[in-house]
Amino acid sequence: MTKEHYRHVYVVIEHIDGELLPVSFEMLGEARRLFDDFNRRYDLNEKVVAVILGHNIKNLSETLIEHGADAVVVADHQDLKDLINTIHTKVISQISLSKEIAEKIEPNYSQEFKKPRYMFFAADSIGRHLSSTVLADLDSGLASDVNKLVISDLDISHFVKTGGKRIMYKKTLEMYRVDFSGFLWTTILCLDNRNEKLSIREYSPQSCNVIPGAFKPLKPDSKRSGVVIDFQPKVSDDDLKIKVLSQKFVEDKVDFDSYNTVVSFGRGIHEAPEKNIKLIEEFAKQLGAQIGISLPISKSVFSASPTISSTYMIPARVIGTSGKEISPMLYVAIGISGAMQHVSGMEESGFIIAINPDENAPIKNVCDIFLKGRLEEVIPLLMEELKIQQQVVQA
Amino acid sequence: MTLLNIAVVVKLEPDFSEGSISYNPDGTLNRSQTKSTLGPHSKIAAQAAFYAKVKYGAKISIGTMSGHIANSALQMAMETCDAEVLHLYNDKIFAGADTIGTAEVLKKGIEKMDGKMDIVFSGHRATDGETGQTGPQIAWKLGFTFLGNVISYDINLEKRTVTAKRLLSLRGISDLIQEIEAPLPVFIAIDPSYKYYFSTASLRLTAEKYQREAHERANNYKDRLQTFDSEELGADKTLVGLVGSPTIVYDVQRVPQGKVIRHAEILDGSNPEHIRKTVTAMREALNAMVIK
Repeated sequence: MTKEHYRHVYVVIEHIDGELLPVSFEMLGEARRLFDDFNRRYDLNEKVVAVILGHNIKNLSETLIEHGADAVVVADHQDLKDLINTIHTKVISQISLSKEIAEKIEPNYSQEFKKPRYMFFAADSIGRHLSSTVLADLDSGLASDVNKLVISDLDISHFVKTGGKRIMYKKTLEMYRVDFSGFLWTTILCLDNRNEKLSIREYSPQSCNVIPGAFKPLKPDSKRSGVVIDFQPKVSDDDLKIKVLSQKFVEDKVDFDSYNTVVSFGRGIHEAPEKNIKLIEEFAKQLGAQIGISLPISKSVFSASPTISSTYMIPARVIGTSGKEISPMLYVAIGISGAMQHVSGMEESGFIIAINPDENAPIKNVCDIFLKGRLEEVIPLLMEELKIQQQVVQA
Repeated sequence: MTLLNIAVVVKLEPDFSEGSISYNPDGTLNRSQTKSTLGPHSKIAAQAAFYAKVKYGAKISIGTMSGHIANSALQMAMETCDAEVLHLYNDKIFAGADTIGTAEVLKKGIEKMDGKMDIVFSGHRATDGETGQTGPQIAWKLGFTFLGNVISYDINLEKRTVTAKRLLSLRGISDLIQEIEAPLPVFIAIDPSYKYYFSTASLRLTAEKYQREAHERANNYKDRLQTFDSEELGADKTLVGLVGSPTIVYDVQRVPQGKVIRHAEILDGSNPEHIRKTVTAMREALNAMVIK
């Protein structure tokens, strides 16, 4: 059995009113890198296809080609002006299943074309849900929050997928995602059922949503060429009853950009969460610092008073791939072990100090000073010394 | 008054609260030592359903796919929203499902509930799986309009529409609030920041009445608990469990430690000289005068 009914990688582009979001370029960059290698290895000519929906957006095609797309499918229509999941899902499905579009992308493969081979979406408030509904409609699998992608031939034995036999799955997309603890990396595969005793089914596209910031965009290259394909969407009257009444930007709840110093805390506060957070609050105040947290803190890991939990244990304070990426002049990581997803949000800081009793914590590899000790003991000493040095400066 | 028909789908999850959670020495979750509870996002979904019950009048049913261990989660959800019906979808062939295999079971379950649903609520995402995919996939299978990241909503009973505010967090730009109107039925995945507020004394009294009722009901939750296996749900066995799941977990490995990108000076937090050195370095990093 081959998968040659399935061709190309379709990348679902995100923009707000014509302003392309950085994750769109990141996905295109990664798709380009993967497919240059893929086409070379398998001696194929499959394409990176950008799919963009909206109104008055045709002018964006050139930019998408410069960032790595071989083809851009543009559904430019008044009915697609607003971000409405139902409508966008149906149009993306129409595009994904269209042989006519496949022919314009690459005539050689279009006769057998059924669906895309792979699809990429963004793991944000738009793409996370859109990818779920599109894949429910296309009846295939989806991995979420992916931060590494590899295409390879895998020799698989699985009691359901293969009935325990070893079968080679060619051109399989290995989708890596970090679990909630930040310490485990899980590889998700979307595999056809090839177990005759149960059910035979093909699952394509192999799809994922990718974490914004996980991949690097390409430098735009104006010499790159590509085809632009117009698509006329079909939107039902029923679906047009769903209406966006208003859309407005809101200020971030927690401002990190205006602060030179950020003090963050993690699970190390566990011995006395309420008391320790208050201590950190004092320390941050003395430093004129904003307060950040590691991801687990935002998940009701510790009980604290309503004021403390609603002020600090909130997603808006999370530093890392699931939250903010910051680069203050000074970053102090208190009781944070240094999971990869946290590090990627703070590693660009000017100077990094970690306070941690465990010398083997991975945070050690990304800091300038590793101050070994319990935060309950170390912070009061730092505060006292700060006071002394400040007095000296004032004198 | 015509009652709204509301379903809530919930999930039993590891209890991340202090004293209940246990980590292995390497920082990963020790599942065998960690207790389970109603997922915090599921609880918010139940609170959102309770708001509709108090404000508009509603019959609430709750469903979950799990083993009998999830009875406690159903009981807690019942107490949160004064549900009348509890559904447990329990069959060993459901095990190992990915999100689409799970969504199929929950769709079948919701269709088994009494009457056609006007609104289905789910949490934002599970704290252990964290994909956030199951809600939208159930919505799609039911043919309901999906509204995610909902921070507040209201119903127009006459027009049979819902108006919801959605919070969109997108990297690279400020957060967006979108106000959207959709005809019922809808599927709402509720945002973690959702909070309800009853503006009048009469609504607050109604809420108190239902809370008392909920407490009573939750004490005797088994009277209202129905369990369904795959046959009883009429589930297609090729669409549920591992067989109905396109994806598999192929490998789990420790995240490799990042490259050593800075060579830390290791100092002793109990040594006054080292504390002095740290503070000096902090001040230098901020050009000394920045610290007020």
